[in-house]
Amino acid sequence: MRWQRTGPPRWLAGRCAAFVLTLFAVITLNFALPRMMPGDPITALQDPESSLYVSDQASRAALSHYYGLDQSLIVQYGRYLRGLATGDLGWSIRLNAPVSLLIQHRILWTVLLIFPAMLAASLVSMVAGLHAGWHRGSPLDRGLIVLFAGIRTLPAFFLGVLALLLFSVRLGWFPLAGAQTPFAHYRSPWGALADLLHHWALPALVLTIEMLGGQFLLMRNSVISVLGDDFMLVAKAKGLSDRSLKYRHALRNALLPFVTVLSIQLGFAVTGSIFVEAVFAYPGMGTLAFQAVSARDYPVLQGVFLVFTVSVLTANLIADLAYARLDPRVRTR
Amino acid sequence: MSSLATPLPRPALVSRRRLRLSAAWLGAGIVAGFAATAVLAPLVAPYHPTAYVAAPLLRPTGAYLLGTNDVGQDILSELIYGARVSLTVALLGAGLSLALALLVGVSAATVGGWFDALLMRVVDVFMAVPHLPLMIVLAAFLGPGLNSVILVVVLVMWAGPARVIRAQVLTLRERAHVKSARLLGGSHFYLMRRHLLPAVTPVAAAAFVSLAGRAVMMEAGLAFLGLGDPTLKSWGGVLRAALNFDGIYLTPYWLWWALPAGACISLLVVGFTLWGTALERYGNARVDRLQTRA
Amino acid sequence: METHESTDCKRGPERPSTDGAVAHRSLLAVRELSVRYRLPNDLMLPALRGVTFELGRGDTLGVIGESGSGKTTLALALLGLVPTAEVEGVVEFGGTPLPLRDDRAMNRFRWSQIALVAQASGTGFDPVQRVGDQLIEPLQERRGLRRDAARERALRAWDEVGLPAQRFGHYPHQLSGGEKRRAMLAMALAGAPALLILDEPTSGLDSFTRVAILDLLRRLHAEHDLAMLVISHNPDDVRQLAQRALVLYAGRAVEVGEAHDVIESPRHPYTWGLVNAYPTMTRSKDLWGIRGEAPDPMCPPSGCAFAPRCTQTIDRCQAEIPALMPQLDRLVACHLGGLRLLLEARRLSKTFRDGPGPPVQAVQDASLHLGEGEVVAVVGQTGSGKTTLARMIVGLLEPDRGDVQLQGQPLHSLRGEARRAARRLLQFIFQDPYEALSPRLTALELVREPLDIQRIGNRAERDETARAALAAARLPTTREFLAKRVHELSGGQLQRIAIARALVVRPKVIVADEPTSMLDPSEQARVLRLLKDLQNDHGTALLLVSHDLPLVRKVADRVIVMEHGRIVEAGPSEQVVSEPRHPYTRRLLVAAAGARSQALRANGRAAPETVEAEAADDRLPAWKPPGSGREIQAGAAAEE
Ligand SMILES: Nc1ncnc2c1ncn2[C@@H]1O[C@H](COP(=O)(O)OP(=O)(O)O)[C@@H](O)[C@H]1O
Ligand code: SF4
Ligand SMILES: [Mg+2]
Repeated sequence: MRWQRTGPPRWLAGRCAAFVLTLFAVITLNFALPRMMPGDPITALQDPESSLYVSDQASRAALSHYYGLDQSLIVQYGRYLRGLATGDLGWSIRLNAPVSLLIQHRILWTVLLIFPAMLAASLVSMVAGLHAGWHRGSPLDRGLIVLFAGIRTLPAFFLGVLALLLFSVRLGWFPLAGAQTPFAHYRSPWGALADLLHHWALPALVLTIEMLGGQFLLMRNSVISVLGDDFMLVAKAKGLSDRSLKYRHALRNALLPFVTVLSIQLGFAVTGSIFVEAVFAYPGMGTLAFQAVSARDYPVLQGVFLVFTVSVLTANLIADLAYARLDPRVRTR
Repeated sequence: MSSLATPLPRPALVSRRRLRLSAAWLGAGIVAGFAATAVLAPLVAPYHPTAYVAAPLLRPTGAYLLGTNDVGQDILSELIYGARVSLTVALLGAGLSLALALLVGVSAATVGGWFDALLMRVVDVFMAVPHLPLMIVLAAFLGPGLNSVILVVVLVMWAGPARVIRAQVLTLRERAHVKSARLLGGSHFYLMRRHLLPAVTPVAAAAFVSLAGRAVMMEAGLAFLGLGDPTLKSWGGVLRAALNFDGIYLTPYWLWWALPAGACISLLVVGFTLWGTALERYGNARVDRLQTRA
Repeated sequence: METHESTDCKRGPERPSTDGAVAHRSLLAVRELSVRYRLPNDLMLPALRGVTFELGRGDTLGVIGESGSGKTTLALALLGLVPTAEVEGVVEFGGTPLPLRDDRAMNRFRWSQIALVAQASGTGFDPVQRVGDQLIEPLQERRGLRRDAARERALRAWDEVGLPAQRFGHYPHQLSGGEKRRAMLAMALAGAPALLILDEPTSGLDSFTRVAILDLLRRLHAEHDLAMLVISHNPDDVRQLAQRALVLYAGRAVEVGEAHDVIESPRHPYTWGLVNAYPTMTRSKDLWGIRGEAPDPMCPPSGCAFAPRCTQTIDRCQAEIPALMPQLDRLVACHLGGLRLLLEARRLSKTFRDGPGPPVQAVQDASLHLGEGEVVAVVGQTGSGKTTLARMIVGLLEPDRGDVQLQGQPLHSLRGEARRAARRLLQFIFQDPYEALSPRLTALELVREPLDIQRIGNRAERDETARAALAAARLPTTREFLAKRVHELSGGQLQRIAIARALVVRPKVIVADEPTSMLDPSEQARVLRLLKDLQNDHGTALLLVSHDLPLVRKVADRVIVMEHGRIVEAGPSEQVVSEPRHPYTRRLLVAAAGARSQALRANGRAAPETVEAEAADDRLPAWKPPGSGREIQAGAAAEE
């Protein structure tokens, strides 16, 4: 309704402005964090008494240079922005390598987990949510609610541990860790692929289940609210079959709110993937961050933060544009 | 118009209302149980959680009900003291983020204008950014310690309820009875005390409990990632230590070392969820009643 | 109840069930239909309670009732669309019972046999699909047409409701409210149903669109063999669209009859109140709601649901639910058979012979009646016999011929206690309060006097009642005021005291002779408004005698026009004002308008050219007809 008045172009412009603003805020935060934290970790890095002390001489020098501690804040900020624009995310203390390169090596694994899991979770929750909402109050509905609400109370890392214990340790169906068998020698590309899938399946499944809880409840509520709409009554008064009512009318309309929160779901997926990767030692960005935490490898943490955040924000924007495609009230004036 | 697809609800054997009520009590009971354990930890726990009381990696025995960890600390005592950390973060994290949410939500709605717009942009930023990466950098830079855990938890949790409370206050302000009180010359303070706060309270109470549940999860997550307070025993930390033990999956240790820690986290979250859902329902019903009367 | 029978299954939805229709022309027979909603807290809410009616092929039935009376529930129940409710009773369609509780089986009747234009047509289309596609959808699925054939059929219906073809592919939000309403209609018609249910077909539309939709519906009904069930809270919709009308109150039918008759002369007290409460029913009269509140659906009154708001309740009303019984031309659910005839004057005549000149035939053969809660105005110029008539009615004058009956008793032959009781029921308000109120009594005593005379209650109770009556008449009840006497009070205050005095004994009929003519215009407005207010609240009938037609049309339900002692015209005030039949009535109206244009001219403004058209115009500041009495006389004199 709101969009009818402002129309798509203005709505779009507002949406893009919000995106740029948020992006700017996040980048600034990332810049400011190491410089304004109470304990001043940058000083602490250089202080042998501190628990944060970086003992390696070369790393200490690299850090000092990276943060540009000898410059004024404005100059530091300018340098920081220029660096970002050229893809410079800093230098890893622990691995002594550019952060951007590290992330480049890891990001594909994370994408490989997140996207299939999001897709699978969305599809399953769409189907399950549609049926549960349609048969609201039925045993099926109540059972699904208890199941998914229960899953939501399990932290992702504990869910991962449970899955690992059951499927890998007890049943031995899947390997314990990693994305590939180390030092394996494949006879064919198919063998390599099978090995990859074998390692991938369990973490992906855990992430999917982790995502399902929230998405299912969302879809179900969305369906229930659509079923109460007048047009459903009118459609039913046309004597249409349940099939038509359910799929042509209820589903399409219930999907609209579902799509708008898909980007928020992506944020949850990122959180989930970090935990799942940590449990399965899956070599994605989550594990990179996990290991960086132990080593207090700040540039890596910041780089991971920035890449994740920018990706989620961009996905946000894309989801909004997709919504505009789906909803004729936004698409046509 | 009610839902079309719903058939006439069958009379249930146990009335659903009764069922919901007992679920709420169960949830509150679980939380209360953990709270009692936390408060009485020195009395309940057989040992001090950081004391090296026995040989490492003992199997469960009468003296060490859950065995000992890789450095010879009693696992049961670790878990009992872990309840303290979880509940402290739950209480302070939920309380402070709710206070911040109330402050931001109510002031944004009452002041309005650019102030409201600015605060809501800030809320948007906090809602749009993926939470765990943000928590990780914040916690890393804040340094280890319970205070930084709580601060991080508050920073990622306050935005959602702030938006809800703002919306609530905005609709309330448009209600006839609030408007009429304003026209009658009721002061800001009077409106707040007599009309806005009582209406927001049930929402805030429900929000507090579910925030507490989320805080427990977040604390456990941070501790699991190694961002907790290293001097305190926390369930997430116990789980981390267990999984860090090389080859734990190849030994039976996971059974009493890893599982109970995870189960504690989940059980406490279940307690908060059951309790919070019931409060939410109650709050909604109250709001509905208020609305129909208005 | 088993309603699903096997014989019906052989008949396809396409073929109308002719055998049933031949046997009895009835298309829809609803018998004892009850619907109780199950609320989330497991309580049951009765929305429809034993409704029975029939509808023939091609007939139209209107269902009227306040919001919440169960109209939409009726519409949905006929289609089996109340899944959260328990439905009892039988609905026969084309001679066979509908399987109301079998959702699947009902699908064969929905749209193709019984089509619904739902109340919420604004939100009735799926927002993400083109409107045209939503018309095509049932044609493909239910009729099994190919897409192009379905499209062609849908476009024909689209064209028939007067929508331009290029709108066919638009989304719902791109259509206006009126267009959506038409599109809904087209969607319903595309199935060629035998019965069309229209739930609030005009609500929410501006008046131009409303007229267009009503025209369209009339045309469609004429062109198709289509029975219509028109549901509306607006009696005017029903009058315009339906042959017969059914009035719903708290889920029960309280009156059924010819639509025109039911609305023009309602017999059930509720119908009467409803029709009078509706703005479009009258352009001239002010609105007066039905007193009291609609019943709480969860706990309706035990007897007649209307009893708490009814002005003529008897003990039986609280105890027993009235059944729908035949009353002359219609069915009425009321223990008293509907609105009582309170007062009836038959062929009253009076000739005054005592003056020096020839005998004056003041009133000749005047008959009138006054129903429960009705306001009737008797208008005519000075000397037309209005006051004589009024005085005969209340018994201040003996008629030469004719008689007056109050609640069926002959008033003039009553004696003793019966006469005193009758006097209580019939109160008179005089033209001149200075004359009618004793200068010796205080304000309080004046109002208490009728109670003293009727010996109602003890002293303290009488004081209390009198004080309450004064307060109701918007007079102060301070000690100082209560002690005031006639000469200390203004004309308006005195007339209000007179009104309080009349109402204090709770009469059934008040006859007021020019109650405002002695007052200045603003007092006039206030006193008349007060009189009508109190009349409405107490449910008293009011016979208002006045020379001022523009003034009284604001409050009167019916107007009786007198000239030279004879009644020359009588009818609903709306009709008398907008379509006067007798030339004298027209002159009265023109004179009033002339007075207005004179007043305008005096104010230095141009006089309206079309005086006659203005006369019935609602925009007239009718509360301020300055000195209109004189002008009427002048106008009337000019005619002679
Ligand atoms: N789905 C429902 N569930 C419960 N009560 C309902 C439902 N629909 C209507 N009612 C109640 O039934 C009564 C009749 O409503 P309705 O048929 O909509 O009246 P109308 O159309 O005359 O305004 C009202 O008291 C209303 O509150
Ligand atoms: S007279 Fe009695 S039965 Fe008739 S409408 Fe009034 S209360 Fe109902
Ligand atoms: Mg309705």
